[in-house]
Amino acid sequence: MGYVTRRNRTIATAFLLPTVAVLFLTTIYPMLYALYLSFRNYDLAKPFIPRIFVGLANYSEVLTSDTFLHSLLITFKLMAMTLVVQFVLGVAMALLVTQRLPGMAVIRTLLLIPMMISPVIVGLVWLFLYFPELGYLNYFLGMVGIDPIPWITSTQWSLTAIAIADIWQWTPFVMMGTAAALQSLSPEPYEAARIDGNSSVDVFLYVTLPQLRPVLISLLFLRAIDAFKIYDIIYVLTKGGPGDATETIALYIYRQSFTFWRMGVGAAASFVSLIVISVLITLFFKSMQKSAAAR
Amino acid sequence: MHKPGARQAVLTYILIGAILIVFMVPIYLILASSLKPSVDMFSRPPSLFFKPTLQHYIDLFTLRPFVSNIANSLIVTLGSTAFSVSVGSLGAFALSRIRHRRIDDAAFWILSMRMFPPIAVVVPYYIIFKAIGLLDTPLALIIVYSTANIPLTVWLMKGFFDEVPEALEEAAQVDGYGIVEIFWRISLPLAAPGLAVCAVFCFIFSWNEFLFALMLTGSSAQTVTVAVMSFWSSDAVQWGQIMAGSFIILIPGVIFVLTCQKWLVKGLTLGSVK
Repeated sequence: MGYVTRRNRTIATAFLLPTVAVLFLTTIYPMLYALYLSFRNYDLAKPFIPRIFVGLANYSEVLTSDTFLHSLLITFKLMAMTLVVQFVLGVAMALLVTQRLPGMAVIRTLLLIPMMISPVIVGLVWLFLYFPELGYLNYFLGMVGIDPIPWITSTQWSLTAIAIADIWQWTPFVMMGTAAALQSLSPEPYEAARIDGNSSVDVFLYVTLPQLRPVLISLLFLRAIDAFKIYDIIYVLTKGGPGDATETIALYIYRQSFTFWRMGVGAAASFVSLIVISVLITLFFKSMQKSAAAR
Repeated sequence: MHKPGARQAVLTYILIGAILIVFMVPIYLILASSLKPSVDMFSRPPSLFFKPTLQHYIDLFTLRPFVSNIANSLIVTLGSTAFSVSVGSLGAFALSRIRHRRIDDAAFWILSMRMFPPIAVVVPYYIIFKAIGLLDTPLALIIVYSTANIPLTVWLMKGFFDEVPEALEEAAQVDGYGIVEIFWRISLPLAAPGLAVCAVFCFIFSWNEFLFALMLTGSSAQTVTVAVMSFWSSDAVQWGQIMAGSFIILIPGVIFVLTCQKWLVKGLTLGSVK
């Protein structure tokens, strides 16, 4: 039982009360309010028109509209692009920066900086690099013989442009997590594998990677949850355009709610996205419990 | 890890050098462009050696209400950090000490509150704050940021409280301490490094936040991130001022990385990586 007796347990529960009360008022209540809105016809531009109950009309509109399904597709496409590169590059970088060589600690620290920069600032500096006609990125690419690319002005490239900015910011996160995991691995299997004369590729694939698996899975879910929410960088670079080429779910909700003032439809889309993200969050917690149990 | 041989070392340095350049160029560009005269902003080739000027910083502080933007950001950031750390560490202590088989579920539930997409609740926040007259006030952002900061604090502090030996608390109880005294005089001081870590994470998150600040503030409570973005939407893009503002905004994050990076792993991976 420990020292927390029954009387103390009452007080300990009271310690928890502020947290639960605040979270209820600031998170659960707005979510319930969003649920209420999602069943209503609510036009914020016409506040005096009564918010009529429309049943599941908003949901059926969201789930059957091409725009919403398109935004879902864009969201997952962006997620796939960023996660693949972030994990391949991030793990490779982790393998490099964990080598026992002078200067690596400093390099590791420097590489962590992008993560801590506000995503708006990341968006702005990449906008500076992508800027049509003037931006330096096409100039640098020109030096190695690549023709100018219409980064943010063409439907073909704009999603890639956003992905690059996100990859720049969050690859260090994968590197950091993987490097931390690599440094806590026990050295024995390596020595054994090396004595057996295995190549470093084999050692990585059959010794390192299996040991990294639980950590990589946790990192993957964390990145997926974030990738699902990505908003700031898109807002700065393309605002969902050109056309709807970069309109992710977040941008779809934003447009429905604050451009067309259709709060009911925005709320319904919010709820659909809450369901998707709940699945990801649950999977993340499962992976965390699993790796905690494995320790 | 074994010690690499000479050939491998050279290869590692070449690769890591290339990676370092790619990742550092945008940061260098922010600083360099903030100090470049406007005429050199996009010069070809990029002028590495230019006569640095503080003009953009001077413009930022004299022509724009950037001082009040910084003040707003600081009020919101410090307000939310103080509130979240106080409420969150109480909650964390309870979660760490209550023995119940569902306590992990409670901890996960609290953490999940942080992970929901902000865009999904911004509409209700907008309507609610409008109705109670909090739109465009720092208080609105303090409340909203705390919804992300409290769960993080609870989650991280729980880890720190878990490491405080219960024997100490039991001994204090034998000496006649009540649980409030135990918390305040024994456990909290021992978990003090955790408080600092949580405070820094809350600070950086609130300072960097953009979406809520954009939707829930107008001109009077505008924070730095929204202000810098607004330099863009004016008729002519003020790149110099955008970069000067950006550089000021990124300073806290860089200081955090340089001074306490060992906590970054724990905080950003929510403890899923040791």
